[in-house]
Amino acid sequence: MSSRRRVLLKVIILGDSGVGKTSLMNQFVNRKFSNQYKATIGADFLTKEVQIDDRIFTLQIWDTAGQERFQSLGVAFYRGADCCVLVNDVNVMKSFENLNNWREEFLIQASPSDPENFPFVLLGNKTDVDGGKSRVVSEKKAKAWCASKGNIPYFETSAKEGFNVDAAFECITKNAFKNEPEEEPYMPDTIDVARGQQQRSTGCEC
Amino acid sequence: MIADDDEKWLAAATSAVKQNAFYMQRAIDSNNLKDALKFSAQMLGELRTSKLSPHKYYELYIRASDELRSSEMFFRDETARGCSISELYELVQHAGNILPRLYLLCTIGSVYIKSKDVTAKDILKDLVEMCRAVQHPLRGLFLRSYLAQVTRDKLPSIGSELDGDAETRMDALEFVLQNFTEMNKLWVRMQHQGPAREKEKREKERNELRDLVGKNLHILGQLEGVDLVVYRDTVLPRILEQVVNCKDELAQCYLMDCIIQVFPDDFHLQTLDVLLGACPQLQPSVDIKTVLSGLMERLSNYAASSVEALPNFLQVDAFSKLNDAIGKVVEAQVDLSASASVTLYLFLLKFTLHVHSDRLDYVDQVLGSCVSQLSATGKLCDDKASKQIVAFLSAPLEKYNDVVTILKLTNYPRVMEYLDHDTNKAMAIIIIQSILKNDTRIATADEVDALFELIKGLIKDFDGLTDNDEVDEEDFQEEQNSVARLVHFLYNDDPEEMSKIIFRVRKHILTGGPKRLPLTIPPLVFSALKLIRRLRGGDENPFGDDTSTPQKILQLLTETVEVLSDVSASELALRLYLQCAQAANDCELETVAYEFFTKAYLLYEEEISDSKAQVTALRLIIGTLQRMRVFNVENRDILTQKATGYSAKLLKKPDQCRAVYECAHLYWVEEGENLKDGERVVLCLKRAQKIADAVQKMTNASRGASSTGSVSLYVELLNKYLYFLEKGNPQVTGETIQGLAELIKIEKGESGAGSFITSTLRYMEFQRQQEDGGMNEKYQKIKMEWFE
Repeated sequence: MSSRRRVLLKVIILGDSGVGKTSLMNQFVNRKFSNQYKATIGADFLTKEVQIDDRIFTLQIWDTAGQERFQSLGVAFYRGADCCVLVNDVNVMKSFENLNNWREEFLIQASPSDPENFPFVLLGNKTDVDGGKSRVVSEKKAKAWCASKGNIPYFETSAKEGFNVDAAFECITKNAFKNEPEEEPYMPDTIDVARGQQQRSTGCEC
Repeated sequence: MIADDDEKWLAAATSAVKQNAFYMQRAIDSNNLKDALKFSAQMLGELRTSKLSPHKYYELYIRASDELRSSEMFFRDETARGCSISELYELVQHAGNILPRLYLLCTIGSVYIKSKDVTAKDILKDLVEMCRAVQHPLRGLFLRSYLAQVTRDKLPSIGSELDGDAETRMDALEFVLQNFTEMNKLWVRMQHQGPAREKEKREKERNELRDLVGKNLHILGQLEGVDLVVYRDTVLPRILEQVVNCKDELAQCYLMDCIIQVFPDDFHLQTLDVLLGACPQLQPSVDIKTVLSGLMERLSNYAASSVEALPNFLQVDAFSKLNDAIGKVVEAQVDLSASASVTLYLFLLKFTLHVHSDRLDYVDQVLGSCVSQLSATGKLCDDKASKQIVAFLSAPLEKYNDVVTILKLTNYPRVMEYLDHDTNKAMAIIIIQSILKNDTRIATADEVDALFELIKGLIKDFDGLTDNDEVDEEDFQEEQNSVARLVHFLYNDDPEEMSKIIFRVRKHILTGGPKRLPLTIPPLVFSALKLIRRLRGGDENPFGDDTSTPQKILQLLTETVEVLSDVSASELALRLYLQCAQAANDCELETVAYEFFTKAYLLYEEEISDSKAQVTALRLIIGTLQRMRVFNVENRDILTQKATGYSAKLLKKPDQCRAVYECAHLYWVEEGENLKDGERVVLCLKRAQKIADAVQKMTNASRGASSTGSVSLYVELLNKYLYFLEKGNPQVTGETIQGLAELIKIEKGESGAGSFITSTLRYMEFQRQQEDGGMNEKYQKIKMEWFE
């Protein structure tokens, strides 16, 4: 029975506006990149199948708005996430400093059952800019932060060049899979199919 | 809807979703298509609720759509097994209610797009039309969101499997545009539903839902094939059509913002006309300034980060277009507040500074437009507007870091006119601080004039304001100190120009009034003295211009310092006269130097009555006089006699004593042989000693025998004697010194030797030991046994 069930993993990408979340996703899923900045509105996802060893995972990658005003409906979609990917721009210190906020907000809103061990992965993006000359967040600094947050895996990436993107998502997949399931699988106490119908009272027919 | 109830209903609905999902999953696991459909329909039935707020509905929606993933995968497998779309559609019809049915149809439909069985175009068209059956705004919006979501990676987005030809792309485009249009209609309709008293609540809910509508624009931005041409010819016009025609303030404001944020910068540059052309067509209540500000900010950042894009800005004449657009907005919205219009111009100014920093004429133009706008409103009283004006005026300061550039902007002072007095002064300080921080040199008299026009609020009282009681003392001091520091940055290497500057600064400063002059005149004087020292070399003036001779400048200074005595700053005036005297001395101008001393002495006699002040003033006089070389014997004598006379007449005896022995130095000048009068020196010292004796007597009488008060005077005198001994005054004998030393010993009595005495003795012993310099010879004269 369960062998048919493909493993669906839900992954959320968070980070300041402009760090490259959408670009990373596009690079990974579609192998394309565009230099122009286009703001993301709300949140939605793309899926991609990832094979690790002889297992196939369907990765549901949620891309989110970095600009707060484009998240009017809130973050209900955090629920059920198996892994959270934090992204910063290595050329913008503020985007690194805000990682704490993103991580904490996520833990508060998603309320995972075991917050201490919830899998995060950090991506330091845009390593390609200006040949690395305008870089302000060093690898050392980033790794220190990761170590202090429970040894979060760290990847330096460039969505533009496709550098390290696949490796990062492979690690993300593995970490998401390792994570304990969020909720107890639902077990009905009575087999009462009709019960659900009572809740509804609508004014219109649809 | 009370929050608690909201939670309750959500919990109940969630529980039902979970339950049905469980059974659905079980059906999937056993390949039971019918049951899978049945339970998923039941699960989706929970989304028919009207009881939930948007936020809570979203939670339920997320949960349900999560579960639908499994269904989707199942349907895909079924199609692989040969089940056709019509079969599935048929089965879905059995779902009782429209909403669940449509969710399922969307899911199935999207699977078939991927299967390439039926043309994508037809399916998409069907789906987007079918969804019309749900006209309830909340449910309809989420349903269409689901449709957008589930078709997303089946559209020819960047690199998707279905990246087909241009036609396929246009079909996808059409689909998204239509979905967007329908969603916007639903969203706008919400505004008009329900009772009027719930308007606020509705707006709040609409605001929460806005990203569902906006997301479509994001999808459009991500579609493959939406290049500039397609954007300009199809996408933008269609979006704007919907935006304008919906006539809804909330929608228009939000969607304009989305357009600006979601599409790339160079698209905006190339369609600036169209975008700006839409603005006047929007509802009057729409906050256009926010829209335009967002656009300008985005374009400014673009200009700042991509230098290679700058030619494009010029090519499309972005500046004129934006300038015109703002002009139109400002014209159309007659009750636009001052603060709002300044904000608009502020963004335009920042844009201009980024994109056309070399075009001062553009910058000036923006300043001018702002002035025109402000002139309609008159002088501003509200803080908000003033703050914005300060930001407005600070922008070019920060950009250029060079006040001299600012001085070229003819409209800059005109903008400042619109600030209230306090803010005007604050702005003046900001300007000065810019000069100080950036070490800007103001190098011509004309620049000085322009600058002082800008900071005139600090230089003199505003018209009509005579009462200065309101002014905070500390603030005032700070302001004038800034001006004082500024004076030193008004500088030119060319003496002629520098002289002009000094004359010009003086002219401005003298309008300052009695409170300001004591703070502003000194730096002017010192600046002038610096110039004089540069010109030293005298009456020979290679420039042929009268005003730049030291003499002329000193004449100017006389007149300037005079003003100070008129405003009761006599001590300050005295100091300055002495400084000028020194300068005159350095220029070999004897008469002028004498004149300065005369003025100083007159001040001393007539204006300085406080005894402490007298002591200080006298010290300065003696010190300055001592260094004068330019006087002939007669003049020198007169001045010296006077000084000695003043010394003897000081109020307190110890002061007298000290002043008199200081005068000894007046009779001993190192550089000139005929200026060393050993006798007069000793006379002074002896006279001083007499005064010290008198002091000692008084002290002994009043306090008793063992007081050490006046011994210090004697020790000071002793040190003076030693000084002259070392300088080789023949009149200073060993006996004199010994005598004095004995006196000290007697007078100090039982009390221990003070540190002054001890170190003096140590010094004397040290000098005695010196092998060379001839010191020990001189010190041998003193019999040291008298000390212990």
